[in-house]
Amino acid sequence: MSVDQLPLPAAALDDAGRAAAGPYPDWFSKRRRGRSLIVNPLVPAVMVGLPVLVIIAIVIYPTVWMFYHAFHDTNMMSLFTRNWQAVGWDNFALVLSSDRFADSVLHLLRYLLFGACLQVLLGTALAQILYEVVQSNALRIVLLIVMVLPMMLPPSIVGVLWKFLLQADNGAFNHLLIKLGMLAPTDRIEWLDADLALWSLIIADVWQWTALPLLIVYSGRVSLPPAIYEAARVDGASRWLVLRRITLPMLKEIIAIAFIIRFMDAYKFVDKVYVMTAGGPAQRSELPVFIAFQKGIREFQVGEAAAYAIIIFVVAAILITLFLQYLKRVLKAQGIA
Amino acid sequence: MTAANVKLVKTLVLAFLAIWLVFTGFPLFFMIVTSLKPVEEINRMVPTFWPETMRPQNYAGIFADPGSLKSLVDSLIVSSANTVLSLFLGTLAGYALARWVRGVVGENLAFFILSNRMFPPVAILIPMFFLFDATPWGTDSYVSLIVLYLVFNMPLATWLMMVFFRDAPRELEEAAYLDGYSPFRAFFKVTLPLVFPGMISVAMLCWIFAWNEYLFANLLTGTTVKTFPVHIPTFTLGSQTLWNLVMAFSLVAMLPPVILFIVLRRYMVRGLSLGVVKG
Amino acid sequence: MARLELQEICKGFDEPVLDRLSLTVEEGEFFVVVGPSGIGKTTLLRCVAGLEVLDAGRVLIGGTDVTRIPPYRRRVAMTFESYALYPHLTVFENIASPLRARKADRAALERRVGEVARLLRIDQLLDRKPHEISGGQKQRTALGRTLVAEPDIFLLDEPISHLDAKIRHELRRQFHTLEELRRVATIYVTHDYAEALSLGDRIGIMGRGGLEQVGTAREVFQRPTSLFVARHMGQPSINELACELAAEGDAVRAVAGGGSVAFAVAPAHRAALNGGTGRLTVGIRPQHIAVLPEGAAADGRQIVEARVEIFEALGATGVLIAETGGVSLTALTSPDARFEPGQPIRLGLATDSFLYFGADGGRNLHG
Repeated sequence: MSVDQLPLPAAALDDAGRAAAGPYPDWFSKRRRGRSLIVNPLVPAVMVGLPVLVIIAIVIYPTVWMFYHAFHDTNMMSLFTRNWQAVGWDNFALVLSSDRFADSVLHLLRYLLFGACLQVLLGTALAQILYEVVQSNALRIVLLIVMVLPMMLPPSIVGVLWKFLLQADNGAFNHLLIKLGMLAPTDRIEWLDADLALWSLIIADVWQWTALPLLIVYSGRVSLPPAIYEAARVDGASRWLVLRRITLPMLKEIIAIAFIIRFMDAYKFVDKVYVMTAGGPAQRSELPVFIAFQKGIREFQVGEAAAYAIIIFVVAAILITLFLQYLKRVLKAQGIA
Repeated sequence: MTAANVKLVKTLVLAFLAIWLVFTGFPLFFMIVTSLKPVEEINRMVPTFWPETMRPQNYAGIFADPGSLKSLVDSLIVSSANTVLSLFLGTLAGYALARWVRGVVGENLAFFILSNRMFPPVAILIPMFFLFDATPWGTDSYVSLIVLYLVFNMPLATWLMMVFFRDAPRELEEAAYLDGYSPFRAFFKVTLPLVFPGMISVAMLCWIFAWNEYLFANLLTGTTVKTFPVHIPTFTLGSQTLWNLVMAFSLVAMLPPVILFIVLRRYMVRGLSLGVVKG
Repeated sequence: MARLELQEICKGFDEPVLDRLSLTVEEGEFFVVVGPSGIGKTTLLRCVAGLEVLDAGRVLIGGTDVTRIPPYRRRVAMTFESYALYPHLTVFENIASPLRARKADRAALERRVGEVARLLRIDQLLDRKPHEISGGQKQRTALGRTLVAEPDIFLLDEPISHLDAKIRHELRRQFHTLEELRRVATIYVTHDYAEALSLGDRIGIMGRGGLEQVGTAREVFQRPTSLFVARHMGQPSINELACELAAEGDAVRAVAGGGSVAFAVAPAHRAALNGGTGRLTVGIRPQHIAVLPEGAAADGRQIVEARVEIFEALGATGVLIAETGGVSLTALTSPDARFEPGQPIRLGLATDSFLYFGADGGRNLHG
């Protein structure tokens, strides 16, 4: 055996002096056993437990209640006499087979597509314009504040305001269009009529909430490192290329988060529907959540309302799970979570 | 791209910005204009874009109505109390989640708590009605709204405070322990000052949400307690809506959030983006 | 003021880090732990401080078992590698922090902070915030915070490794002279062996799981107990040559490089090696290899003919890498020498100073 082939003692240790992971010593376990010296483990349990208890009381318990009544024929009478019958899946069958529900789903899709998606698109574009085109920093901030003002109004008041602006005869919006020459002086657009009611809702929503993605994307843009842009300028890249190859890819996650937030809020809040159109005319601007409210609170068809609520809840659960997975990934990449 | 094209794009972009500013600004402008008009001018067939008769007394008018004043106070009570409660619970839980409850359990717990903010509240409203009805305070009370808004604000506060606490280096607390501070004192000495801007943004978001909420307040309360969004539909004379008062009152009620935003804008974006954007 | 005793302490995370580590640091002793990064030096300090919970074993300070005592009641002060200054507080408040913790009265507090700040020459910075001062000043502030505390045990985690050379030197001198540090038991962690050799009353070389060797600077440098220790003490690093023992009459030779180079084993070492196995590693420090001028006497050294590979003149010293019989040897020379690559030279090896390490685990065969 030549000396060359001898195992070197040096090979048994790597640079950090670690030997190959051998059998672990008997005291070692991957699970930590020692109790923290800093804090009694009861304390964190209580600190996290308090909100969890609150959630159980005001979210879980009511949700379970709704699940229960979704399978019963509960209405105002039976609630008071505490006498309700199990009806199996009847409530769900009723909801799913109704045209009203099917229509409301289509409304919702349109509302989300033209509401939430459009808001994110517009907000991103505006953020980019604000950052790239407006040179003065002070002017930028003033414009930003003006654009964010609608967000500070209660959604219900926004609904009232737009209902007022969109009145057909003496509404300011129609008359503004006339003044700008975009509408003949004798013409009136019936904004709150059956055909346009949903669109009016969308306009009001876009007016109020475009500021949210705008604000988020703008701040994301501000925090991008300028060094990259200087490098791109040295390379002589056009603005369009810079936008497409640098800015948008780097803001991808932030835009996605803005979208998620807007999407879920649009999915769940119906204040404007209530105030502006009350779902009308002829149920042409109803959203599923609105019907659930209507059935539950106004008509007291609790069983049916619960079925609506549960369907909405299940869809939301799926969406939220997907969104939170994504959020987790983004935060992991940032080293936060 | 040729120079002419660049110019064209620039013009289009500026036009878009201008149109958007008109779209955003006009309703606000018209709100202000309307709030200064007498009712007769509002009811004309052709609306005026500047008040022919100035009536700043509209603003005095809304405060002459005791209901208006009370509704603002009610809103203030509900939103402030809810903010304090949300922030307190959220800070406790956020701190524990950031420091001590880590790993799979902590992560899932944090996302579970956050998910509660995203769920449509429609699923809980009816049972909440009965739940509050069974309490000594009943549905039409401060307590019911303060507790109800926890559904939205507490998960947000917990989540965001957790993110902020994770940003505050753990080593600083450890240094404080070695200086002789107990965990409780170290928290106030080191950690709290570091997360204070974050807390402000959380408080602001919670407060504005509660201040502006309408639907639940409308369904649960309305007699004993009446927050300002619920009060607004009462500005009527017969079947006629007093738009000038509605707008004047809305503008007044809009002031606190707007001022909060202008002053604390820097801290707000982080919270709005669930902690992702470091504003 | 008290001695520090660690009794078989064990700590692991995903892997075991400290495995039955025992150590006693006497009152007034400056003990330096040196080792490669990621080996668990910081974990050791954190265990002493109480920031980590032990998996097993005990920590005693002044004879009292503090294993279950939380850090804020241990009277242990520690500087962090990242300094861990409170960013929202001034330098004054940072230094005063331990005194505020025990609610010292105002006059005493100001006097003591002033003293320490003057000692560390940061008294003109007291109103600044940490982000307004330089790295060296941050380090002094962190040190000041530990000094005012007047603790039983000092723990210093890489206190000067992130600073530039000039300040590092200055602070190193300060560690030599600081009365406060020299009165109590101190553990100083570094990855720089020169710092360790220069500062430590005793030095512990940390390897996987614990301290490979504990001893004075002279002991760990001249009598390393293992190849690991030898390898981490000294710059340039020790020459390691895989060899096999071959008896030649009553002489013993270690043969390396496929038999083309043989190193004589000095008579003093023979007894130890005869009991060893056939395979071993010969360790030759670069300073024990001299370049002999033409015709110079062997003078007890073994002469090896070699060829220059690389020569680096480093100011105070020169580093020569030469090749002989397929084996590369690093030698320390005068910086003024001139060597051309390929030039034949004669090396004189001080065989008396060779170190012999066993093939399994690299234990020093001298015992």
